[in-house]
Amino acid sequence: MSAAPSLPVRALAALGRPVVAAARATLELWGVLIGTLAGIIRSYGKGGRRPRGAVLAQMYAIGNRSLVFVAVTLGFIGMVMMYQACLQFSRAIGDLSQVGLQFLRLVVSDFGPTLTAMMLATRVGAGIAAEIGSMKVTEQLDALRMSGVLPIDYLLVPRFLASIVMTVALTILGAAIMYGAGGLTAWLSFGVNPRTFFDPAMVQPRHLALGLIKAVTYGAAIPIVSGFCGLRARGSSEGVGWATTAAVVGSSFAVIALDFALSVGALWLFGGDL
Amino acid sequence: MTARAFVEFIGVEKAFAGKPVLRGMDLAIGKGEILYIIGTSGVGKSVTIKHLVGFLPIDRGEIWFDGQRVDQLDERGFYPVRRRVGMVFQNATLFDAMTLTENVALPLRKHQGLGWKAALADARRRLAQVYLADFADRYPAELSDGMRKRAAIARTLTLAPEVVLFDEPTTGLDPVNARRIDRLIRELSRSLGVTAVVVSHDLPSIMAVADRVAFLYQGRVHALATPTALAASADPIVQQFIAGRSSGPMETPGF
Amino acid sequence: MIGERTLTLLGARAIAVTREVGGIALMTGQVLRALLPPRLDGRELVRNLHRMGNRSLPIVALTAFFAGGLMVVQSAPFVKRLGATSLAGWAAGYAVLREIGPILIGLMFSGRVGANNTAELGTMTVTEQLDGLRALAIDPIRYLIVPRVLAMLIMLTALTIIGDLVALVGAAVVAYLVLDIDWRTMYFSFADNLTPHDFFHGVYKSVAFGAAIALTSCYFGVTVKGGAVGVGRAVNAAVVAAAVSIMLLDFFITYATA
Repeated sequence: MSAAPSLPVRALAALGRPVVAAARATLELWGVLIGTLAGIIRSYGKGGRRPRGAVLAQMYAIGNRSLVFVAVTLGFIGMVMMYQACLQFSRAIGDLSQVGLQFLRLVVSDFGPTLTAMMLATRVGAGIAAEIGSMKVTEQLDALRMSGVLPIDYLLVPRFLASIVMTVALTILGAAIMYGAGGLTAWLSFGVNPRTFFDPAMVQPRHLALGLIKAVTYGAAIPIVSGFCGLRARGSSEGVGWATTAAVVGSSFAVIALDFALSVGALWLFGGDL
Repeated sequence: MTARAFVEFIGVEKAFAGKPVLRGMDLAIGKGEILYIIGTSGVGKSVTIKHLVGFLPIDRGEIWFDGQRVDQLDERGFYPVRRRVGMVFQNATLFDAMTLTENVALPLRKHQGLGWKAALADARRRLAQVYLADFADRYPAELSDGMRKRAAIARTLTLAPEVVLFDEPTTGLDPVNARRIDRLIRELSRSLGVTAVVVSHDLPSIMAVADRVAFLYQGRVHALATPTALAASADPIVQQFIAGRSSGPMETPGF
Repeated sequence: MIGERTLTLLGARAIAVTREVGGIALMTGQVLRALLPPRLDGRELVRNLHRMGNRSLPIVALTAFFAGGLMVVQSAPFVKRLGATSLAGWAAGYAVLREIGPILIGLMFSGRVGANNTAELGTMTVTEQLDGLRALAIDPIRYLIVPRVLAMLIMLTALTIIGDLVALVGAAVVAYLVLDIDWRTMYFSFADNLTPHDFFHGVYKSVAFGAAIALTSCYFGVTVKGGAVGVGRAVNAAVVAAAVSIMLLDFFITYATA
């Protein structure tokens, strides 16, 4: 047997290891997504068993308890964004007439959905991972399987559906608050006429569509990523802790990556103009 | 001012959420003695020793240590006390992110001002004294309960305390390891002159090691005697505890 | 009665929040007292710097890259329409340096390092290791908390600076690949228009965010009650508190350094 592998080989291995791990994780993630979608078909198709009120209960858990959190954070960030945008516009173009339109576009098609989802990723993602993770670690998932229930059907499907609905709902609320707070700031700090700001004719359907698509995608991604992390929890309560933090980071990053992908996609679709 | 015992509890009262646990406890502990505090679960044994090192404040009464009153001290005021009164917790509470050696070296570094390497070397020596030399580089999670307890004792001794409090040192241990701990406690007292206050309900330990035994019942020291005197006591409540009978004159709340 | 119940719930929530804010303020005071004069465990500081940096650099770099690209995608089309392509870099860079960079990197750091820290301290509290330290007459604030607070503060600032650079690179890359704006235009757009004030605006924020994340994560870690379930709840609470703090601090700093 020769001596230890040479440096180039070791470097390649060091680079390759995380790539292989990432690839495997991505495949498993897809597996969870497909499994969840299959679970939806199973539950709502012919002869499917649907736990009564499960989706509604999850909607309450996600939505009602994140309401104030989302409202407060998006309100503040809206004010800040508008402030910076106004500064930027005065410096670059010298007039603030376009600020309302551009800010609206940004809020509806990007920051509204994305920031709402990032807030939800921390709150909801952690919760889902912790619940599923501790059930896995205490072998309750195995117990579920023994009674003929697939954990994905029972645990993930209601949360998946609820998350999509509530993410969209909270995004609408969050975007409205963000835009309103921004409008207030523009009016109070920069003297922008509120009437030019709150003109309903400014809302462009393609921005709305993009925003909705993003909200739905984020709403789907968060429970999938968090559920995936929860299902991978190992060991004891420490393992659940790791799963929770991984879920928060993973969901947040997924939101950013998806935002980027969808924005680029929209750009391409609209021919280089937004 | 009357000459006080080395450690003295006077009329100590403590209640948790309205429920009284200690109801006027008086106890004097002499320097260099091994005193066992015994009684049923929940009677306030651990609470008593926690008061002495300031982990729990008392509601009423006085606690004296070496001529100084300690029950009114704040957290920082207790630090000089904790250098002289060590505590070995029931579940050893070793730092699970460090090896045994690092566990024992930490107080050496902090209090003896040793450099890291010197502290590690001294720690190894101390672990060898409690027969843990072969496990010095293991993590607490890899060891048995008995080994963890011995390591915790070694760690507490790094401060060269004059008093060591033991919270149920042999509970949960097999008989062989329990006797090892007993022997350690005896050696501490004989060779280092340490005053040991041991909370326990391990009868063989009590009979073999204690100089005196304080039997706690209904929040007070119900009986205070040498182990043999206690075993021969005519008091029915003491007898029920020693004989380990489930029914008798003792009121056991919660059953 | 719905009104009465809502009011009670709101009131209870308000009291809980006040208690937490008070507790965090108290801990801040203890940390500050341990820093003047600075007497803390140097070894622990170095160890934590190492761990926290290693743990979060990859995710921060990736996030920053995408954030930079995102801002370019959002701002460049509008800028192009105005015929001011040379401002494309500035438009994206301004937002990244002042807002997006510090906030997103802060949120990621909170999720990765802050949550882990709360879990660690929480587990130590629940297993009485914190009491163990106190019994050995070692001050947990000096030994455990202060090194972690400093490490998180320093690390987040460093990561934000690195992240800002990565974000600008990301912006340039995406501008080139997606919007056909070449490197040089972007580089000059950055260099000519972005001021040190823009850069430092973001750095001040990252220092504040670092302090907020550090203090909230430590506070929720050491006040855990209720075993393993309590640790989970503490992690959740810490991450949410950090996010709210970031948004609030962002608001105040933006207006204060106007």
